[in-house]
Amino acid sequence: MIERWALVSGLKGDLDTYELIQKDLKKTPGNITLFVLGDMIGPEKNCNRLLHRLINPKSNDLQPWCIYGWWEEQILLESGYRGDQRAEALRINKGEELVKSLTNAVDKSFLDWIAALQFGFVELDCGLIHGSSKDIGENLTLDTPPLTLLDRLTRLQVNRLFTARSKQQFHLELTEGTVNSEVEDLNGNRKKEQKVPQKAVIGIGAGKNYTLYDVGTDNTQFLQAGYKSEKRIKGFGML
Amino acid sequence: MNQAVISCLHANLPAVEAVLKDIELQGITNITCLGDLVGYGPQPNEVIELIRDKKIPTCQGCWDEDVVDGLDACDCSYPSQLAEKRGHFAHQWTTDKLTKENKDYLANLPYSIRKDKCLFVHGSPNSQHEYLLPDMDAFAALERVENARAEILFCGHTHQPYIRELADGSIAVKIKNAAPKDIQEKEIQLPMRRIVNAGSVGEPRHGGTKATYVVHNEVTNEVKIREVEYDLELTCKAIIDAGLPPIFAWRLKNGFEFAEQAEDASHVCER
Repeated sequence: MIERWALVSGLKGDLDTYELIQKDLKKTPGNITLFVLGDMIGPEKNCNRLLHRLINPKSNDLQPWCIYGWWEEQILLESGYRGDQRAEALRINKGEELVKSLTNAVDKSFLDWIAALQFGFVELDCGLIHGSSKDIGENLTLDTPPLTLLDRLTRLQVNRLFTARSKQQFHLELTEGTVNSEVEDLNGNRKKEQKVPQKAVIGIGAGKNYTLYDVGTDNTQFLQAGYKSEKRIKGFGML
Repeated sequence: MNQAVISCLHANLPAVEAVLKDIELQGITNITCLGDLVGYGPQPNEVIELIRDKKIPTCQGCWDEDVVDGLDACDCSYPSQLAEKRGHFAHQWTTDKLTKENKDYLANLPYSIRKDKCLFVHGSPNSQHEYLLPDMDAFAALERVENARAEILFCGHTHQPYIRELADGSIAVKIKNAAPKDIQEKEIQLPMRRIVNAGSVGEPRHGGTKATYVVHNEVTNEVKIREVEYDLELTCKAIIDAGLPPIFAWRLKNGFEFAEQAEDASHVCER
């Protein structure tokens, strides 16, 4: 059986989009695991129905495996789950009203569940996170310097890093490279050439834009909920 | 023109005085200190006051930060519970001894100092607690310098002096799963960068007993590691007299400090 991961993020309380994705995935062949890489909540709409659904999936839903994202971090900060810190960056950049909108969008009864979510998952040789291994708020994109991408992969000791924060969909491979290192210390000199192992960073999109990853072939498909693309049929050939 | 970089003084006044004398004898007046003025050693106030009197630009080290914040030094860098216990004792002892004025001085030290192409930090540009060990992943090391927008990164914290040059680097990338017109392959050349670790004045961990620091020629870019002898017996006696753990004196005298190394080079304190 083909093993696939469905990677979703940035739902921000949008239960309709989540249901569309669930509907899509039911029609997708293979053994599918659904990962929700954060930003299940946001300030724009009431998030309680989506959170309830994620915590209590319908009997025919794919079980979602969730981690926390940037918006979850903000509400945890603001609600005192991070010690004395509050969501000051959000407050300064977006104003008090938005902070209030966020806290009003999520019933307090969900906060313990959000606080118990992990920063990320490591599955096989892949890291699944919201932002980067350095910072939950870091945007990794096609324009991020490869040296930075390699560092974020190295920090998690993974070969593939799935990230959501930038909202972009991309599959960037680091195919090769080298750097020469020469160290001089009190014991003398030593030289070493280090090579770049083959690695990749994958932006999974946000909201209706999600990603299917075929674990066996290392292929990605960038999809839109409710929209069957020709490419998708060609890509997996079984729809 | 030469500049001297010193680090990890650790309240060892005889060592600091000897190193400053050695710098003076070379006619160097441009000195930068990478922090950890206190911790482990018996003369925290005296060392701070000497650095203040000489107006030496100084970054805040992890010990300086922890003493100010009232937090124990990063537990996760201790290799054993016994080492952690000793570290906590030294932390409390130092906190009790420091004058308010000197605590305020430590509290107001900057995390980093930038001079043209040189960046001076205690641990790494990310954290005062991150160890940039000489053999850490070369790309990760290069990333620390490059993302800090420096050409030479001066650091301490490991207590092992070294000069590391990272050169002739490149990374090739390919965009996969894009429209045919968008598929791109390119090779990015990486810049040559250097990391210079100044070692430790007050608590060397290079296997010897001499204090270490570095001298950088700003014109030729040449860097030299300097070793300086100091009155070790004086410091060891002061450690015992102060009631600090005798092992602090023993390891200084024997040049052993390996027990305090972090096992994971890329480790960053989660605090």
